[in-house]
Parts: sequence; structure tokens; C-alpha cells
Amino acid sequence: MGAHQPSSLGLYVHIPFCRVRCSYCDFNTYAGLEDLMPAYVDALTREMAWYGVHPWVQAAVVDTVYFGGGTPSLLPLPLWERLFDALHRHFRLAPEVEITVEANPETLTPDLLRGLRGLGVNRLSMGMQAVHPQDLRLLGRSHDFPTVIRAVALARRAGFDNLNLDLIFGLPGQPLVRWQEALAWALRLAPEHLSCYALTLEHGTPLQVWVRRGRVPPVDDDLAADMYLWALEALEQAGYRHYEISNWARGGHACRHNLKYWRYEPYLGLGAGAHGFWRIPGQGVRLANVLAPRVYIARLGRQRPPAGEVQELGSPAVVSRQYLTPDDMALELALMGLRLTREGLPDGRFREVVGRSLADFFADALPELRDLGLVDWDGRHLRLTRRGLLLANRVWVRLMEGR
Amino acid sequence: MQDHIRNFCIIAHIDHGKSTLADRLLQLTGTIPPDASVEQVLDDMDLERERGVTIKASAVRMEYTAKDGQTYILNLIDTPGHVDFGYEVSRALAACEGALLVVDASQGIEAQTIAHLYAALEADLEIIPVVNKIDLPSARTEEVAQEVADLLGVDPDEVLRISAKEGINVEQVLEAIVERVPPPSGDPDAPLRALIFDSHYDPYKGVIAYVRVVDGSIRHRDTLKLMAGGAEFDVVELGVFTPGMKPAQELRTGEVGYVATGLKSVHQCRVGDTLTHKHQPASEPLPGYRHPKPMVFASIYPVDPEDYEDLRDALGKLQLNDAALTFEPEHSQALGAGFRCGFLGMFHMEIVQERLEREYDLDILVTAPSVEYQVVLKDGTVKRVRTPAELPPRDRIAEIREPWVAVQIYTPLEYYGAVMDLVTKRRGVLKDQEHPAPDRVVLHFEMPLAELIVDFFDQLKSRTRGYASLDYQPIGYRPGDLVKLDVLVNKEPVDALAMIVARENAYRVGQKLVSKLKDLIPRQLFTVPIQAAADGKIIARANVKALRKDVLAKCYGGDVTRKKKLLERQKRGKKRLKMVGKVEIPQEAFWAVLRVGESDED
Repeated sequence: MGAHQPSSLGLYVHIPFCRVRCSYCDFNTYAGLEDLMPAYVDALTREMAWYGVHPWVQAAVVDTVYFGGGTPSLLPLPLWERLFDALHRHFRLAPEVEITVEANPETLTPDLLRGLRGLGVNRLSMGMQAVHPQDLRLLGRSHDFPTVIRAVALARRAGFDNLNLDLIFGLPGQPLVRWQEALAWALRLAPEHLSCYALTLEHGTPLQVWVRRGRVPPVDDDLAADMYLWALEALEQAGYRHYEISNWARGGHACRHNLKYWRYEPYLGLGAGAHGFWRIPGQGVRLANVLAPRVYIARLGRQRPPAGEVQELGSPAVVSRQYLTPDDMALELALMGLRLTREGLPDGRFREVVGRSLADFFADALPELRDLGLVDWDGRHLRLTRRGLLLANRVWVRLMEGR
Repeated sequence: MQDHIRNFCIIAHIDHGKSTLADRLLQLTGTIPPDASVEQVLDDMDLERERGVTIKASAVRMEYTAKDGQTYILNLIDTPGHVDFGYEVSRALAACEGALLVVDASQGIEAQTIAHLYAALEADLEIIPVVNKIDLPSARTEEVAQEVADLLGVDPDEVLRISAKEGINVEQVLEAIVERVPPPSGDPDAPLRALIFDSHYDPYKGVIAYVRVVDGSIRHRDTLKLMAGGAEFDVVELGVFTPGMKPAQELRTGEVGYVATGLKSVHQCRVGDTLTHKHQPASEPLPGYRHPKPMVFASIYPVDPEDYEDLRDALGKLQLNDAALTFEPEHSQALGAGFRCGFLGMFHMEIVQERLEREYDLDILVTAPSVEYQVVLKDGTVKRVRTPAELPPRDRIAEIREPWVAVQIYTPLEYYGAVMDLVTKRRGVLKDQEHPAPDRVVLHFEMPLAELIVDFFDQLKSRTRGYASLDYQPIGYRPGDLVKLDVLVNKEPVDALAMIVARENAYRVGQKLVSKLKDLIPRQLFTVPIQAAADGKIIARANVKALRKDVLAKCYGGDVTRKKKLLERQKRGKKRLKMVGKVEIPQEAFWAVLRVGESDED
């Protein structure tokens, strides 16, 4: 196989089911397919087996697991038990493993929460998104703010001491003060972690169509910039460390799984549409699974993992296997690494992956971006400046130019 | 034989039924089948048909047995139908002895009709007035007939009333041609003189010259010479149009036909030139030859710099058939490599643009049109300036002269005020007005050509609900109080955005241009000041605010490819912008100069 043998691995598991699709979501999610859940979980356990038999996986410990969606909290407890049974059977979990489950507040019951906690889930990421009923309605969310308060209390009672709340700002028609209030309410719930995302109008989503047709006012990017700057101030004052463009944590509760993406570390992707990434000598490998849940189930139903020597890391669900050159990886590393606002992109790490120094690889772009006040470059770490945080796309596009 | 030839043309405004009448005449004489389409048989270029006007003159020979029992040869010579082609029209008229003046029974007389009529009268043609479309419910046949009779100073009874479409009274037209148009009067024994009134390029036979033999005759294999151009050639083929090309052995005095010259470019064989025999030349050429001069200049750039060579090839090919088109390489700091092109007028420019896009499938950017200025320097030398970038520094200029045109606008009286207002805003001067009919007026203006080429036709049409029509002729250069309007983007002048404007308009144009550009230039990473300057002074200014936010929200489930695709798309979009200094300017901004004209009537 010859892959760089990592000592640790991340695991992303996609749960594509939702009760209702939110108006802004263009993600690989499906409403009305809940009947497929048992078969889907079976398929997931089989896909785990495909990876688990591989000596390369066996030699590493899994130290982060992330159940993302969709709405993973829609899965009933018995299905979770089956998933965890397989997880333990096919992977070596590190003793301090971080296991995150994404949840919608209205789906959380004391039983489910206690059950998940009992299975080893130690981090809960809740889609709070907004507070004002008008904002929640626009986003197509099924919950209201009191539901979030109750869900947080239930989670605490069930023993979750690492809680994330997702918030979205820059909504059509949302004034600055409403965002300030939403943030203040979120802080009163004292989560360990906060993600604040600027709304992106994704092509083909209902919200994008509404805006295009003029039924909903357009998003004001300048206002969104002000909201972001407000969040930087308010969260810093409340004791949260800003460690990634859209992420804040207190008490050392940065999300270890997501850090793997940003630090360009290896992870496996399980489930419909999931992506995996790792490196082999001189190259990066990126796998993508088939998107449709039914097809995913069908692909994993046919064959068993071979008992003997394994050829290539992957499963029958893989539809694309990309090999990344050092140049490709350089850009991806910049794309991911610059998101980390504090640690930035270390030159040492860049040399290790790409084989050249940052200053050499981006010889033209770096001085220019620095002159524009978009990046800080001290010769060892490349970071976005405060202004660069809001203009990160421009920085990346400039880095991509001439490559 | 010479007695039995009638050479005539049809003078009509666009849409007054010239093509329909021509088809009917061809059908009645059996030149084309009776069921041949009523489409414009004479127009042999696709483009002409789509535009509903004729770009190039052509000729058709008919044989007609008249009521007197004798058979006549009728040559119908077509005239270009647009104001840009005034000279070509005059040559086509010179090849005729008579003209049908066709006027729409509901529309009445138009400016263009009058301009062409004057030209026909100057060429001493016999005019046969025809009122067409008398079948239409809106026809004002008698009224229009009276108008036409008044215009010509003839009895209203002499005006034919027909419907070419319905075939009513068309026979009368043929009889009138035979009776009223005099036969050609040339000398068959004199040395050859043949007038070239049109041409086209054929890849196998070289330039095909459309000729009217005035004196003498042309035989197959004769060696001929162009009296103005100087080129000599052996006749490869000669013949007549029926309406296709039909070879013949000889073209005799008074006849109309074609000569295949084997020449490689229409520039060697220009309209208006005289053909004669090399060994027995005529002593004097036919009068009226003029070298066609481009009046309007614009730069054409490929949107993709890689198409530069293709653009050059395409312009070269168009030029084979278009003696009036000129082009020379040009480099703009903002737009890269392209060509400065010369055209007869705006309409000619549009045709070239459309052909480049359609026939040659090129993505092109055409800059705002400009005229050719004469700049008198303080040392007395005169410099020709076709683009604002060529204008010498202010302190070296003694005087700037610009081309002026005489403009005739023919309009219903009720739009008099609207037209006057427009013309005055465009620095026009009223010279004269006529009332060919009680509720119609012909206004004779003089105005700078530069004012005419930016959006004037459209403005005139919209202000008169399409009723006014217009014709113009160049009348030479006059000194003007002109100033170069520079546009500075991020403090750097952008050559492709500069304009030459009347000093009195500089402030207003500068303000409009700057505010248009402010809307068209996307926000950049820094504040971009946009300034207009005239005479070294800033006269208008606006800022494009710096971009504040452009960042992707989230990276879902480790899917970097999605994000990369978005950024790739953003990078590609950026490629379509032109970098001018540190500022990215979209193509549309270079059109802003044109749009300033559109809105100046607020």
C-alpha cells in the first residue's frame, strides 16, 4: 500500500435524513426518506467493515468521529446502538476520542440524549441558527427559540459538557440589532463552542430563488461584514477564542474533528456523499461516495469485503478517487490552513506536504497580499489579517492565479 | 439596338416597396418565374435580406415586349438604401437614364427619398413618379400623389398609382419606362468608357466589376485598364445579370453587365472608376470618381486575446468585398491588441460588426465610435487624429478641426420642436427649411459629425415616434472648441475611455461618464477613485467603495472539492475582466462612453 502511516484518523459519517429541508440548504440531504434509515445504517456498518479490514486503518487509532447531516438526531436509539457496535468492531477508538453528533433542537428527547451519552458521544452540535421567529421562518427551521433553551438544558442534564451552537447571520431583512440579540441569547446558553456562519445563497435553494425573484430582499454584504465584526468583538469579550474564520471556543473546546480538515490531516468519509482524504508518498488521495442514499445502500448490499489481501483503501460506495499533486495540495492546504485564524498555515507543515516553502511557492502573491493588508507573513506562519478574514476568497483566488 | 435599351433605377425609402416592385417587374418580363418568391431577389447577401435594406447595388437585365410590339432591354440598377452609402448611390444613378420614384401611399415622402431624388435630378435622370401600396386601407393615394407632383413640378396625372404587392397597374410602370426613359446616348465608335457602379469579390474569377458601358464596347479577352486605379487586366469573363450571371461575348454601348477582372481586391477596382482599353484608351475618364473615405472610426478588439489573428483574417476577408472598410493594428493599454477601423458611417460599422460576430463567430468588443480630427499644431503642421489617445499635448495644439455634415431631416410638422431641441443639443445649426407638403417639413442643418454618430438616429426616431427620416453629406472640416476628456481610474488615465468632446459639454459628459463607470466597475479590495479630467483639471469624481466581504461560510463534511470549484469559478470570472493597473474593469465599462449619449436627453 505504501501510504504514509498516520497514527490517528478522523471519521466522518453522513446521515442524510431530514424531516424538512431548510430553505438555504443545498446539501446532500433528503426529506421523506426516513423509511430508509434502518437499511442505511446497515449499509454504513458494512462500509465500516470495508475500511476496517484494511491494515492501514487497523494500524491507526480513530481519535475523532463526526456524525453530520442532514439531521443525525433523527436516528432512533436502536439504530445508534447498531452504529456504535460496528464502530467499535471495525475501528480502534482512542481513549480520548471526540465523538460529535449534529442535532436539531426539536428532535432531542431525554432518552435519546442519555442514550447517546451512554454510547460515548461527548460533543453535541446544535443547529440553533437564529432567535427571532421571522429569521427562523425565513430559514425554514421547524423550531423556535424556547425549544433551543429546553434542548440545551436537556443536553446538560444528560451529561453533555461540550456543546456547540450553530448560528447564521446576514439573513435577508435581518437588521444588525437582531443579530446582536441572537448572539446575546446564544451566549446566555453558555455553549463551549459557537459557529457563526454568514448566509450563503446557494444556487437552486428556495431562499436563493426567493431573493432572485424579489420576494425576499437581497443580502447586504456590507451589513454582514458589520455583523461579523460585532461577533468578533462580542465573543472575544465573552471569553471565546476565535480559532477559525467561523468558529469560536472556550476552555480548549475547539472541535478536534474539524481541525483535521483545516490542518490537512487524514480522515475517512462514510455514508452517502461523504468525502475522505489522506496522503500517500508525493500525492494526496480524495475519495467521494455516491450521493443518493438508495444507491449507496444498493452499492453496499452486493459484496462483502474480501477476506485476503486488500488492494486499495475504499468501499463500493466510492464514485470518485482523485489523486492530488503537490501543487493541488499546496492550494488546498492554503485554502484550509488560512481558515485557522490563530495558528494559520505553518511553513513547516507546507514544506512537509508540498516540498517547497510558502515563500517560494507563492513568490508573487505573498508580497502583493501583504501589501494589500490581507495576510500576515512572519516567515514561519501565514495568517489572514482581520480584514483578510472577510476577504478570504480574494486571497485564495490570488493564490490560485498563476498556478 | 442602342435605341431599345432602357437603364433605370428605383428610388425609394426603406419599406416603401422597392424590392416588391422589382420582383413584379422581373416576373412580368419573365426574367424570374411568376411564382418566384416576393422576397428580395436582387439582394444576394443574407445580411441585406435580414436588415430589409440593400447594402450593395446590383443590376438585372429584362427583356420586355411593349405595346408598340417592339422588344426592349430594360436594365434595373439597384441603389443602396442607406445614408452611409451616398456616394455608391450617386454612381448607380450615373449608370441610368431614368429613375422610378416610389413613395408609399400611406407614409408619403421621406427625407431619404428626397435626398436621392435630388441626386437623381442632378444626374439628369428622367423621373417616373410612382405611388405604391394603394391597396392599403391607410393609403392616402391622391394626397400623396399630389405631394409627389408638387415636389417634381408635374401634373398629378403623370403619377402612377400601383400596388406592387397586389400586381395592380405594374404593367403601366414598364410602359412608362419604355416611353419616358430616354435610350442611352453614348458613342459606339469612341474608345471604351465603362462606369463601375458596384463590384464583388469572387474567389475564382477575382473582382467582378458591375459596369455600364458608356462609349465603345467590351469583348471577351480584351485587355482593359482602370483609368483612376491604374490596374490592367485581361477580361476573364463578361456577361449580364438575369439575375444570375450569364456570360456573353460582348457588352455594347449603353449596356449594363459584369466584367470578371481577375483582380485580387476590390480596392484595385473601385466604384466610380472608368474602364477603358489598354491599347486604345479614352482620353478622359467619366466624371465623378471619388475615393471612398471612412468617416467614422472605432476600435475592434477580440474579447479573447487569442482571437487576434482570426480577427485580422476576418477583417481582411471582409475588406475583399468592402472597399470602404479600413483597418490598422492598434494597441490599447487597457484592451490589448486590436484594430482601428474606418467606416463610411454608423450603419456600415454595424454591418461589419454583425458580420464579424455572425459569419466569423468572433467575440469582439467595439469601442465608442469617433470621427477623424485635424489637429493644427503650433508649428503649423496638421496631424490627423482618429482616436483620443493620439491627441498631442494641449500646449502644442493651435486648433482642433472636426468634420461637419449637412443633415436633412424630414418630419411631420408636429415633431418640429422635438427635432429642433435634439439638433440644438447636438450643436446643430439650422440653415433652411422647406415645406413640400402643408404638414411636412424638411429641415436643413449643419452639425458636427461627432454629434451624429453617437445615438442620434435612435434619439431622432424615438422623439418622432419613428416618423422622421434623415440623410447627411459631409461638408468638410471646421474648427471647434474641443477638449480631450480623460478618465482616470485609480489615478491612472485609461486610454480606451478617453473622449474628445465640445468644451461646452465636457462637464456634463464627464459627470455622466463617471457615474456610469462607478456603477459598472465592481468593488475592489481598495477604494477606487474614478475621475474625469479636461484640460488637466478634474471635473468629476466618484468612488467605488472598497469590497468588505467575500468569504465562504462553511466546509461541509470535509468536502474541499466543492469549495475549490466555487473559487475556480470566481477565478475564471476574474479572467474576463481587464486589468487596468491594479483595477479590474469589466467589458461593459468600455461601452459607458456610448451610454452617456443615450441618456443625455434627460
